[in-house]
Amino acid sequence: MFTNLVFIILFMIGFYALVMKTNLIKNVIGLNLMEAAVFFWVISFSDIGGEVAIHKMGEEMTKFNDPVPQALTLTGIVIGASTAALLLTLIIELNKFSGTIDREKIEGLND
Amino acid sequence: MDIRILFLILVPLGTAFLIPFIDLINAKLRRFFVLLGILLESYLIISIIINNFQSLREGDFFLQYYLGGWHPPLGITLAMDGLSLLFAVITAVSLFLIVIYSIGYIGHHEGKYYVLYFLITAASMGVVLTADMFNIYVFIEMLTITSGALIGFKRSQEASAAAIKYLIYNVLAGLLFFLGVLLIYFNLGTLNMADISQNFASLESGIQLFISAIFLTAILIKMGIFPFLFWLPKSYDTAPSPVTAVLSGVLSKVYLYIFIRLFWTVIGFETLVALNLNVLLLDLALLSSFFGHVFALQSNNIKRLLGYSSIGHIGMITAVIMLNTDAGFYGGLLHIISHMFMKAGLFVACGYLLQYTRSHAYRDFKGVGLRNRSVFIAFIALLLSMIGMPPLLGFASKWYVLMAFLEARSYFGAFIVIFGSLTAVIYYLRYIAKGFEEVKLTEDDLREEIYSRPLLSVLYREKIVSFITYAYTAIIVGFGLGFRFFDLPLRMSIESIMNVERYIELVLGG
Repeated sequence: MFTNLVFIILFMIGFYALVMKTNLIKNVIGLNLMEAAVFFWVISFSDIGGEVAIHKMGEEMTKFNDPVPQALTLTGIVIGASTAALLLTLIIELNKFSGTIDREKIEGLND
Repeated sequence: MDIRILFLILVPLGTAFLIPFIDLINAKLRRFFVLLGILLESYLIISIIINNFQSLREGDFFLQYYLGGWHPPLGITLAMDGLSLLFAVITAVSLFLIVIYSIGYIGHHEGKYYVLYFLITAASMGVVLTADMFNIYVFIEMLTITSGALIGFKRSQEASAAAIKYLIYNVLAGLLFFLGVLLIYFNLGTLNMADISQNFASLESGIQLFISAIFLTAILIKMGIFPFLFWLPKSYDTAPSPVTAVLSGVLSKVYLYIFIRLFWTVIGFETLVALNLNVLLLDLALLSSFFGHVFALQSNNIKRLLGYSSIGHIGMITAVIMLNTDAGFYGGLLHIISHMFMKAGLFVACGYLLQYTRSHAYRDFKGVGLRNRSVFIAFIALLLSMIGMPPLLGFASKWYVLMAFLEARSYFGAFIVIFGSLTAVIYYLRYIAKGFEEVKLTEDDLREEIYSRPLLSVLYREKIVSFITYAYTAIIVGFGLGFRFFDLPLRMSIESIMNVERYIELVLGG
């Protein structure tokens, strides 16, 4: 329950920053917060309080956390990092031409 | 087990990563490698078709490959059935023509361009071939990143702004898709599409609705259906012409493939009907088609107009597929093929025609037709095909779409098809008339024009560029006369869409 609450709050903060803020870098931060919220939720949801899923020889494993969501989240983090990097590069590029990173003042983004 | 379907993904991926190293040795070798990569890709597809021609005829075509030898549902499976084969072939043909066009068109930063281009090729092949939900997510994100970088390729203010807008919308869609995939994993404990398909109906209907809604939102943003279409025209306008041809000709079709795969094979159409989503989606797609054509009417920019017209056509295809009848699929898939060639051809021709103009605006289109007469005639033929003129491919596909709507008694849909054609007559004829307007150029005008040319639109090899335009026109005219050629592949694809049990059995049992 607590993790769901944290997920919703984080996601909403990210969505607020994406939609309401006019600063493009804050928009990207908002997008990353939303991603972080989803990853956090996935990891905490798959944590059932068991061991790390590494099989040790000669030991019986009774309760362990599912490693697949962790692997999937790792891929998601990599993809999120690369999109964030690309977006920030484009914002720098845009700043060179228009001298501002305010969404409202840049032609082509304000409609 | 056929390793060639793995190589369909690996060859473009390998080419993409080899190109920077080739650049270090000798930049002139690059073009040779680009051609080699795309020819190898075509050879693989053709050899798959020829080797399996007998089973294609009999309708039991199916190939698969287990990555790392892990059998499903544990490992990642690549599977190719009739639908995948159809989409793989048409994407490969489109990408083949556009890469040759790019050799003539792109004159600067070629190395970077081809790296991104081949990553798009690899990712679209991957989406079409994979039978694993998470793989689809990874390949979608690959498509988003590479196409976003290509939209910002001109490095102007408009291009960067359009790329940012495109990326924000599409990353959001990708995030929703990720959430959907993970929800499926938590509820069913599997990522294999056939395995999910087998067990999806056993979930509670609330969870089913939630997962379907999340996937639907993600895929509607990606396709540019009505409430989420605002990123599309801008990015079509500012991207270089070959990139726009890829965006419209390949990417939107790949997303349509994901749409069909998700909602027929994985989630199942019965689930959509049970959740009452199908009528909503049908109306949304038709509304999107309507708005696309209306926005196109007021557009004063040729490439943006073509983007709005793409929205109209994608909406129409989605609607006719949502009818879930054989005739609907036949019309929809035929229109996917014809729209792919028509739109890519139009953008390709635009890239040639707009080289002399200062901008893409309506007023600058004046006199374009008189300068490049034969290419402009090819352009007109493609426009007539978009409208739906009888001997061309656009007519055949629109006819089947219209018949499918009438057969299902969806009169609003039939109205939209006719409405689209009629508005298309108005907004295309305007440009044709403007193109033939006489324009007197003084020497000052010419000088100003040459200096104001955007850097990238200076053509590199004019012959190649105009040749590809003619090739697209020849395809439209040739297949317009012989559209029966598509009969066998279309029937095969419809069979593999409708027969979900066979797909499950072959993927899990093979």
